[in-house]
Amino acid sequence: MKRIVAILFTTVTLFTASLFGAGKEIVIGCLQDISGPTSSLGKMVEAGAKWHIDEINAKGGVNGAKIKMITYDTKADVNEAINALTRAITSDKVCAIIGPPIANIVLAIAPISEQYNVPILHLAVDIRSEIKDDGTTYKNTFGMQPNNLQMGAIMGQYAIKNGFKTFGVMYNQSNAYAVSLLEPFTKAVTAAGGTVVKEVAYTANDKDYKTLLSPLVSAKVDAIYMPNYTQDLILITQQARGLGYEGALIAGLDAGPPFNTMLGEDCDKIYYINNVDDTEPKLKDMIKAVKEKAGIDATNKFFLGYDIAGILNQVLAETGPDPDKIHDAMLKVKDYDGLTGKITIDPANHMPTGLEMVMFTYKGTTPVMLERYSAK
Amino acid sequence: MQLQIILNGLALGSVYALIATGFSLIFNILKFSNFAHGATMAFCAFAGYFVAAANKMGLVPTIAVAVATGGLVALCGEFVAFRSITVRNASPIYYFVSSITLGTLLEGLVTIKAGANFYNYPLFFKKRIMKFHGLVISTSDVIMFCCSAAALLILVWVIRKTRLGRGLRAVSFDRDTAGLMGINVIRTIQFAFLLSGMLAGLAGVFLGINYTLYPTLGSLVVKGFIASVIGGLGSIAGALIGAVLLGLAETQLVNLVGSTLTPVLTFVIMLVFLLLRPRGIAGSNIQEKA
Repeated sequence: MKRIVAILFTTVTLFTASLFGAGKEIVIGCLQDISGPTSSLGKMVEAGAKWHIDEINAKGGVNGAKIKMITYDTKADVNEAINALTRAITSDKVCAIIGPPIANIVLAIAPISEQYNVPILHLAVDIRSEIKDDGTTYKNTFGMQPNNLQMGAIMGQYAIKNGFKTFGVMYNQSNAYAVSLLEPFTKAVTAAGGTVVKEVAYTANDKDYKTLLSPLVSAKVDAIYMPNYTQDLILITQQARGLGYEGALIAGLDAGPPFNTMLGEDCDKIYYINNVDDTEPKLKDMIKAVKEKAGIDATNKFFLGYDIAGILNQVLAETGPDPDKIHDAMLKVKDYDGLTGKITIDPANHMPTGLEMVMFTYKGTTPVMLERYSAK
Repeated sequence: MQLQIILNGLALGSVYALIATGFSLIFNILKFSNFAHGATMAFCAFAGYFVAAANKMGLVPTIAVAVATGGLVALCGEFVAFRSITVRNASPIYYFVSSITLGTLLEGLVTIKAGANFYNYPLFFKKRIMKFHGLVISTSDVIMFCCSAAALLILVWVIRKTRLGRGLRAVSFDRDTAGLMGINVIRTIQFAFLLSGMLAGLAGVFLGINYTLYPTLGSLVVKGFIASVIGGLGSIAGALIGAVLLGLAETQLVNLVGSTLTPVLTFVIMLVFLLLRPRGIAGSNIQEKA
């Protein structure tokens, strides 16, 4: 009898404690590629989000409630991501999710997210993460950086503006990010009088690109466009240069640091797009602080993660941890002054409008900011 | 253009040759496919990388570290995963299960240390390319080709000319009779694992230089397996022939039909070999003599 009373007492105490605790904490999820080939991106988003949440919590939290962020590892795998998403929403009862950095994963979870009422604020650039085939939006996914149409067009326009006329394209056809950036670039280039001489595709398991690169090198194209992930970019750069190609290489976000240090050699004539100009004083100070406190070199995904957490905190302050209200408030986000620019969410497509992006190149291994572009 | 593709194919084939030979060596002795070989390659490549990066070492010491690590890991693997199966003369299926388990363990250890990220070896060669009559030859490919050839020549010499090598051939031919003839079977098997591990170390470094380092780098062992099947499972010479042919075929196919169809056609070629000539190109003669 004593044992039963003790068990009952313990249960009631724990239940009561959890009820009180729930009032002081807002639980959000952070679904990221913490391991796997894109872990460098996911870890950086997580670090940026955590940095902002720590700042908010240090100031007393949101309306007196501390934010608790639980991280789930997608392992860059679709099935793992779906399982983690389900666990976060059904088991841990998160009210919002800071979502994955890559399109393949978001494209997989977007239809699954339809059955839940929890907003997912992600970084995939593929507009299919928000827009269904029938043109309507997925209720719960929100893109938090310029989309593929904007990024591809910016890179194409910049290339033409800088005198490149002929282009080769090399892309991973099993990667939604790479595929999504292909057509907008080609359209922009063609519209401005340039020519895409040849496109070559490879698959995720390929590592030896020399034979695929040979026709592009032989065609002596002015630039090779390669909208791929960092590991592929390193291999393509090494092998293109190994074949004697001395022209320009144009890449998406993933040729930004730490690409330069990982390549381990001069990155001259490599052009890439970035969300931020990390030579700005505000960002330089933050990079320094992050290096000192967390020991990491903050890259663009850190600032994107920071901004997502900032928007979420602002929305939570208005709505509290009610997923439906968070969803509605997300649609009304306007002129949020983030590190990556002023963010306004377009309710028609759940994506930001008017965010600028920055073109960069390298001098040796040092990034050099070239020009800002509006991503309208 | 065509000659350039052949050169690319030879470079690719030389990497496959290193994988396939180490793989074949164990098949030759114990008659099973050691799928831990791929993880051993990745383990050694990372060992070489971390030691090289910490001490700012050049290519030769890096290879030395990786090769030594490969020998040690393979010896430990033999003792932990395969010794008792050999001693008990158990069914070959246990070798297979054990090799998969050991491979997973090694890959897991690499992931713990490397965190599933990818790394890049430092630039070992100041002059990256050589141009010859319009052909572009990568320095790393040339060095890899030379190192592979040297390693495989040494291997052939060891197998044909040394006492341990003769023991290796005898054990591969008939383990029981070799034992009755006074050959220390366990030591000979250890020797085979040592050689196989050292080749894995060498292959790992060159794979790392050419394709970056990542914990699942060992998945390229599949190519070594295909090369072995084409050349003749268990035959060192066959593995070499199969690897070079596979490298050439892959680059030609990529050039002709693109990267998407190439893996499909490669596996079709392997299936055709299994169907028409299960013992591969080298056939039984070379297989028996190792």
